[in-house]
Amino acid sequence: MSSLSVSNSHKTKEIAVSVRDVSLTYSTTIDRRPTFKTRVKALARGKKQTRVVQALRNVNLDVEYGHVLGVIGANGAGKSSLMRCIAGILPPSQGRIEVYGSVSTLLALGVGFNPSMSGRTNVYLGGLAAGMSREEINGHFDEIASFSELGDAIDAPMRTYSSGMFARLAFSVAATVRPDILIIDEALSTGDAKFKEKSLNRVKELRSDDRALILVSHAMQTLRETCNDVVWLDKGKVISRGEPNQVIDAYQEFLQVGKSAAIDEDV
Amino acid sequence: MSTPLQVYEPFKAGLPKLGRYWKSLWSRRTFIAEHSKSELREQHFDTAFGQFWLVINPLLLSGVYFILIVIIGGKTDTTRYVHLTGTLFLFYLVSNSLSSGVKAVTSGQRLILNTAFPRIMLPLSSVVIALFKFFPTIIVFIVIKAVVGSSFSIEMLWAIPILLITTLLALGLAITISCINVYFRDMASFLPYMTRTLLYLSPILYEASTLKPGLRILEYVNPLFPILDSWSRALVYGQNPELSSMLAGLGWAAGIFFIGTYIFLSREREFAVRL
Repeated sequence: MSSLSVSNSHKTKEIAVSVRDVSLTYSTTIDRRPTFKTRVKALARGKKQTRVVQALRNVNLDVEYGHVLGVIGANGAGKSSLMRCIAGILPPSQGRIEVYGSVSTLLALGVGFNPSMSGRTNVYLGGLAAGMSREEINGHFDEIASFSELGDAIDAPMRTYSSGMFARLAFSVAATVRPDILIIDEALSTGDAKFKEKSLNRVKELRSDDRALILVSHAMQTLRETCNDVVWLDKGKVISRGEPNQVIDAYQEFLQVGKSAAIDEDV
Repeated sequence: MSTPLQVYEPFKAGLPKLGRYWKSLWSRRTFIAEHSKSELREQHFDTAFGQFWLVINPLLLSGVYFILIVIIGGKTDTTRYVHLTGTLFLFYLVSNSLSSGVKAVTSGQRLILNTAFPRIMLPLSSVVIALFKFFPTIIVFIVIKAVVGSSFSIEMLWAIPILLITTLLALGLAITISCINVYFRDMASFLPYMTRTLLYLSPILYEASTLKPGLRILEYVNPLFPILDSWSRALVYGQNPELSSMLAGLGWAAGIFFIGTYIFLSREREFAVRL
């Protein structure tokens, strides 16, 4: 829960994130919406009420400053769980995670937004939710408005926005945060092709010697172009880590999809 | 500048480091205020009609209850109406904190799943909203008191510590119920019945002094009883509240706040997998 407004100077190759022997096991209710009524019913029938999920198994990982780490894996591989552990959202069940610097997460777009409010108000709500101060948001407001390309619509309620407009504003707010460590999970697949390219360019701009980026994506071409390292997760385990082309090729071979044009072109 | 180090390790139970937790909560105070304001704006409380409804709603309710008292209890006087209005307004502070707090965590799912922040911020924000709704009713109460010719005195300032105790109680209740609702989502459906029962068991439709001896136990089992009694003595009758009532109210409020906060803080790290 560190402040995002504090940015420290770091040297390339300094450790930004150290994940040591981390496992994540949790129990969750079988019912999507647990109620007192279903709990009593389940107890009376002697049925199980919870199930155990093993999301991560003995994961070891270091991320260095100046590096961009890509994370790949099938759905349910544990990518988002690992990102949530690094961000301090979920505590690990085993192991230790050390994070040297301020972390910002871009795990979903529009976190903290209130659709009834105008885009302008939501810039403040989203920015404050991401840990920015009001002064920082004031200082970056014009940049955010201009990047989102919303024009006068910034003063209209967000419920009147199209999904593309919503995504553009949400990404613009999120991309303004300047943390030491930035975790982006699937947030680049938003908006139209032009905005996707613009978002990708912004991420490339964020690459710097004193910042570490962790990029979770199914867009293989983006990862090949952007990352120094790629780690492949499957069923909560690290299968392989190394040079992007090698790891991605092995992953695609594993999936038996080969170099699908559809995957390569999706940014 | 030194690099801030965050270490995340397994937890079994118990509290997080409170100093760090408080620091993180304090650093989010602007967000709490902005989040609360946006919720109020969503309910149109920033408009004249919104403000009007905020005041007219409890006022109409107090009118309805007053008619009920006249029909059931027979002859009554204006002081009774002042008592009813004043205590009902304070009751609504607690009731609004509960109704908004019960879904504070479950409706904050996107925030909880995607951002690391002190989760207690969510029920805290509900109480801030309830306070924003409460403050205009104080003005209405003062107007009513002036219109019916009830006297104003220095003892009325006791309302300030009583309001602080009520806020602590409302916060404790909101924190507790928001946590329970994560595990039992039908808590929100039970809540209207619970608040209605609490209303009838509190000295609002009647005065504490008129309670039958057989029902005196309510003074000890209902946390709101000593608080509302003290509030009425200070604001309606201009008397000093009884010390025992003030201490009982404070004891209840502090007890519920500390127990609720302990339960919430020891469970909040698993909210992300429960939502």
